[in-house]
This record gives sequence, structure tokens and C-alpha cells, in this order.
Amino acid sequence: MDKTKRDLRTAGEEDLDARQERSVQGLTRLVVASLLAVVFVGLALVILALPTEAPGLADQVDAALVDTGVTHPVTAVLLDFRGYDTLLEMVVLLLALAGVWSLAEGSPRTDHRPGVMLDRLTRLYAPLMLMIAGYLLWVGSTAPGGAFQAGAVLGAAGVVLTLTGWRLPRRLAGWPLRLLLVSGVLVFIAAGLVGLGFDRVWLDYPPPWSGALILLIETVASVAIGVTLAALFLGGHPEQTP
Amino acid sequence: MEPSALVRELFAWAHADAAGLMASVLALPVLVPLLGALFAFVMRRWAAAIGLVTLLALLATVLLLIPWLLGAGAQGLAVGGWGAPLGVDLYADGLSLAMLLMTAVVGLGISLYAHSYFRADPIREQAFWPLWLLLLTALNALFLSRDLFNLYVTLEILGLSAVALTALAGGAKALVGAMRYLLVSLLGSLAYLLGIALLYHAYATVDLALLAARIDAAPATWAALALMSAGLILKTALFPLHFWLPPAHASAAAPVSAALSALVIKGSYYLLVRIWLELVQVQSDGVATFLGLLGAGAVLWGSIQALVQTRLKLLIAYSTVAQIGYLFLAFPLAAGTGGLAWSGALYLALSHALAKAAMFLAAGNLLRFGGHDRIADLDRVVQRLPLSMAAFALAGVSIIGLPPSGGFIGKWLLLEAALSTGRWGWGIVIMLGGVLAATYVFKVVGFAFTQAEHPHQAQRVPATMEWVAFALAVAAVLLGFLVAQPLMLLEIGDPFAAHVGGMGP
Repeated sequence: MDKTKRDLRTAGEEDLDARQERSVQGLTRLVVASLLAVVFVGLALVILALPTEAPGLADQVDAALVDTGVTHPVTAVLLDFRGYDTLLEMVVLLLALAGVWSLAEGSPRTDHRPGVMLDRLTRLYAPLMLMIAGYLLWVGSTAPGGAFQAGAVLGAAGVVLTLTGWRLPRRLAGWPLRLLLVSGVLVFIAAGLVGLGFDRVWLDYPPPWSGALILLIETVASVAIGVTLAALFLGGHPEQTP
Repeated sequence: MEPSALVRELFAWAHADAAGLMASVLALPVLVPLLGALFAFVMRRWAAAIGLVTLLALLATVLLLIPWLLGAGAQGLAVGGWGAPLGVDLYADGLSLAMLLMTAVVGLGISLYAHSYFRADPIREQAFWPLWLLLLTALNALFLSRDLFNLYVTLEILGLSAVALTALAGGAKALVGAMRYLLVSLLGSLAYLLGIALLYHAYATVDLALLAARIDAAPATWAALALMSAGLILKTALFPLHFWLPPAHASAAAPVSAALSALVIKGSYYLLVRIWLELVQVQSDGVATFLGLLGAGAVLWGSIQALVQTRLKLLIAYSTVAQIGYLFLAFPLAAGTGGLAWSGALYLALSHALAKAAMFLAAGNLLRFGGHDRIADLDRVVQRLPLSMAAFALAGVSIIGLPPSGGFIGKWLLLEAALSTGRWGWGIVIMLGGVLAATYVFKVVGFAFTQAEHPHQAQRVPATMEWVAFALAVAAVLLGFLVAQPLMLLEIGDPFAAHVGGMGP
């Protein structure tokens, strides 16, 4: 067998191998797809069979609302009934940032000036966004709103500022920034301790203080959440930026 | 006055004056590492010191809980004062306490090790401590919670911190392993969350105890339990859903590998056991047998895969796949043997935590020493690094299940559960897994005596790193001598008793 023939044969075999591999891949996909279809149909049937009227906890929440110091049920659930969950959710957010910081360096500072359009719009939007965040925070105790919503708007304001090339001054980018980031969780834990002095368990706010404590937690939390979201957008640790 | 009596007096005094404060002590195993993580995050330069102090405080807290729970029985805490179904309830019985103790002890060992391990790399060290303390926070919160949604949040913190720690090693392998781990972890969490949504819609509560009283065998219930179990099994890496574990556990930094294999997978396993004990148990022989068969598959497949590995860390990771299998043998064996099978599985989980942490830390020492973890090139490491090799061998004794060791007691209890009810098949799997484990452990030990073809430049290994691995291995063996105390601990609150609730016929 001369060289060309051998090469041809090998090439043919490789072709066959590749084709076989493709067909195996196709088969795997088919099996996975049909399995998923079965799961989907099964779940759909189960969900269709559920009663449309769910018992829920809404009535109990409404009945207990008077003892919370807020009048909006969602805020009461988030900050009072299930405050412990919310505390841990805020830890998740902080953890996400700690994870990102452990992986990436920050984006480099540039002297790049934003265009006229971006510059003007930012000057217009940033204060407006701050005001909206404040409104959402304040209205949270009686209507839809609260720390997470206010924090999201603050975060967006941070993103807009970042896009124009604004960066936190270096002397604030170290521990002061990190302290701000953890302040939401810290104040939440501390506010929960107030009840201990009144023979209550942790995170059980004494009634006359309840509304004020919730407002305090929400205020600090919305700033912390906003800063965390903006920092997540920026990527790496601002202190380690080149 | 006896020390235990003194502690009782102290508790009684405190109880009379500040009941809220006393009850809140139950939240301390969550709060201590959480506060530690926050401080370590802000004060980066002091992160290692803060971390070590936190771990000591955590161990002290858990040790303080032991006499309290031994005296007063299982304890609950309605966080926020509302109680289920409006609020979130914490609950600690013997099972929770044993897991908390395991986490604190192994966590302290890993922390001491990590302190030396990361010393030369301050940036990585500063990133490690907050993530690691949050991982401990999540584990402790998971072991204490009785609320399915709250447990979902703890699973999220656990998964995210574990992934971030895996990626910390850097390099393509670790990043690919971490990415896959992240996707698997999210898929598992979402399946679990979907299950909770179904249960809440049907029964208007996410509290385990209330659910146990209300639940019935409706299609939605089975769908929910199937989704939640599938998600948790994926997170626990039970065969055949173990595919993500070896790359993640083997490519991480040594202290992280130890934490992942020793502690993290125990979190989702613990939750699965809890859900099973509270909600399923009755009328589910088929499911139990199915889980047992997967466990048997894991024992055999994991052991064989461990045997053919050429890299030490991959061998240890596959050994974890096999050991997870043992934990699932308890599901079928629990029928008719009461708490015996569960005690065996939990005993195995505790000793595996100590032994596997010791093994991964010892492997980390060998890796640092030789610059590689090729088993065939270990190059007389037994003479050059005797303490680490002794740690590996002692941990191996417990993994194999040789007497006297914690692994032996766990396997013995499982074996007794199998043989006393005449179920020989499971017994054979238990024995076979032990033989296979012996083969892969001796394979490593064998190469540790021989000279490699190409000798390597050896790096110095800090003494702390050697002694920590050795101490954890010794603890795994010691667990075989102190059988009565851990079992007594496990029985607080009778966690394995057949519940009156659950799904009736």
C-alpha cells in the first residue's frame, strides 16, 4: 500500500469516526430531549390538577399586620415575619460580590471623557434616580416598594455614573466602601438584637420600636444593596484596579 | 460542683431572667461565622486572624449547646417571635447538633491548614476567608433550619460560596470545574425551589413540622418531593449524577477540596434525610430501594473509578463518590431496623468528614512537596514526609472501615441493619466497597515506598499543614473508640423515630 492510499484510508476512517461520534451525540440529545419532554408533560399535568384557589397565608398575614409597625403586607413579610430570610438574601448578594472580587481585577481607570449626550443625561438622571430611590424606600411601609426596589434604582444610578467614567476616589475604595457594603447585613443583625433587652428573641422587634427599626434596616439596606449592585457591574475590586 | 451541673445551673439562672436571650443562643452558630465573614471582608488585612478567632468561637458555641440539649432535649427558636407558618423556625436535635459539631471541628482543622497554605499569597488569602466563613454560615443555618424556603436560601449561600472557593485555585481546570459546579448547583436549587412552590400552593406552609401534619399523598406532593429530592441528589453527587464532583473537588485548592468533600455535600444529604424522615418515610419502599440501588451503584462505580485514577486528588474525589453511596444505603435499610441504619449512615458521614478532610489535606501536602500529584511518582514520600503519609494511611483505615475507626463503626451499624433483617444483598455491597477501598488506599501507600524514575525537587511543607492533616486522621480513628457518646448525641430529640405524621396510606 503506498502512502497516498494509506492517507486516504486514514482520512476515510476519521470521517467514519466523526460521523459515528455525531450520531452518538445526536442520540444523546434525542434521549435527553425526550426525558425533558416527559418531565415537562408530567409537571404540566400535576400543575393543571392543582386547585386554582390556593389556601395561602394571606389572611394570617393581614391579621398579624397590626403588630408589625408597617401597613404593607409584602414589607411585613420581608422585614418582619420572614426577616431572617431577607437577612440571608442580603448575604447572598454580598457573597456574589465577594465571589466576583475573588476572581477578577477591576476595570482600569480611564481618562476617557463621556460625550456631550451622555454627560448631560447623567447630570439630569442621577439626581432624579436618587430621588426615586428615596421615594420607593419611604413608600415601602404602606405601598409596594422598599429596600430592594430602592436599592435596584440606586444600583442603576451607580451604573449610569460608572458608564460616564466616574470612579470612587481611591481613598474611599478600600475599607470605607467595604464597610458600606456590609452595613446592610450588620445593621439588620444589630436591630434584631434590640428585642433581646425586652425579653424577646432575636429579630423580634418590640412593638413601639417596630416601625422605626424596620425603616432603619430598610434605609441602610437600600444603600448597601445599591452599592453592591453597582460594584457588581464594575467587576473586580476597585482597590486592585491597575 | 460538677462541670455539667454548673452549666445546668447557669442555664437555669439565665432562663429565669432572659428567656428570649437564652432561646436566641440557638441562632449563634449562624451569627458567629456570619459576623466573622463580615469583619474579615471589611478588614482584609486581618482576615486570617479574624477567621481563626471565629472558628474558635464557633467551636465553643457548639460545645456549649451540647450540655444544654443533652439536659433539656431538642430545642426550637421562632426567629422574629412569630413562629410557623408566618415566621421561620429553627430547630436543633441530636442530628443537627452532630452536624454542627462536625462542621466546627473539621472547619477549625481546615482553617488552621488554610492559614499556612495561603500565607505566601495574600490576595488569595484575603479572598478566601470571607467566602469560607460564609460557607460555614450557610452549613450551620442549613443544619438548624426547619423551614423549607429558608433552607433554599441556605442552599444558595452554600452553593455560591463553594463555587467561588473552587474557582479560587485559578487555572483552566479549576475554572471549568467551578463553572460546571455552578450550573449543576443552580439546577439543583431551582428543582428544589419548584418543589417548595408546589408544596406551598397545596398546603399553605413551608414549615417542615406543619407540612408533616398536613401532607397527603396527592400527585402534587409526589411531584414536589421528586423535584426536591432530584435537586438535592444532584447537589449531593449521588451516582449517576456525580459527574460534576471529581473535576470540581480535585481541581480546587487543598483546604477547599477538603471542605467540599468533607462538609458541603453533607449539607444537601442532611436535608434529604430530614425531608425523608419528616415527610416521606411511610409507604415508600419502592423509592427507598431505588435510592439504595443508586447508593450501591455509587459504592461500586466510585470505588472502581478511584482504583483506575493516576492522580491522587482525583482518586480521593472518586472515593468521595463511593462513600456518598454508603450514606444512601440507609434509606432501604431503615425499614424494620428503626434508627440503627440511620445512626450507621450518620456515623459514617461524621467519620467520612474527618477522614476525607485529612486525606485531601495530606494530598495537598504531597502536592506542595513534590509539585505534582501523580500517584506513580510519589517517590519514597513515606520517608520524606512521614507525618502526611501517616495521615493519609490512618484516614484510609477509616475510609476502608477497618477496626478501630469511625468508618468501621458506621459500616458495622449498617451491616447489622442489613443482616438482622436478612437482606444479604446490601451487606455484600457494604463489604465489597470496603475491599475496593482497601485496594485503592494500598495502591497509594505502595507507591509512597518506591523510588520514582525521575526524582523531583522537593518544596518545604509547613509543619502546621502536616499536623492538622494528621490530627484529623487521628480523630477519624478515635471516633471508633468513643462510640457511646456520639450515638447518645444523635439520639437527642429522637430524630429517627417513625413520625405519626407523614404520608399515611
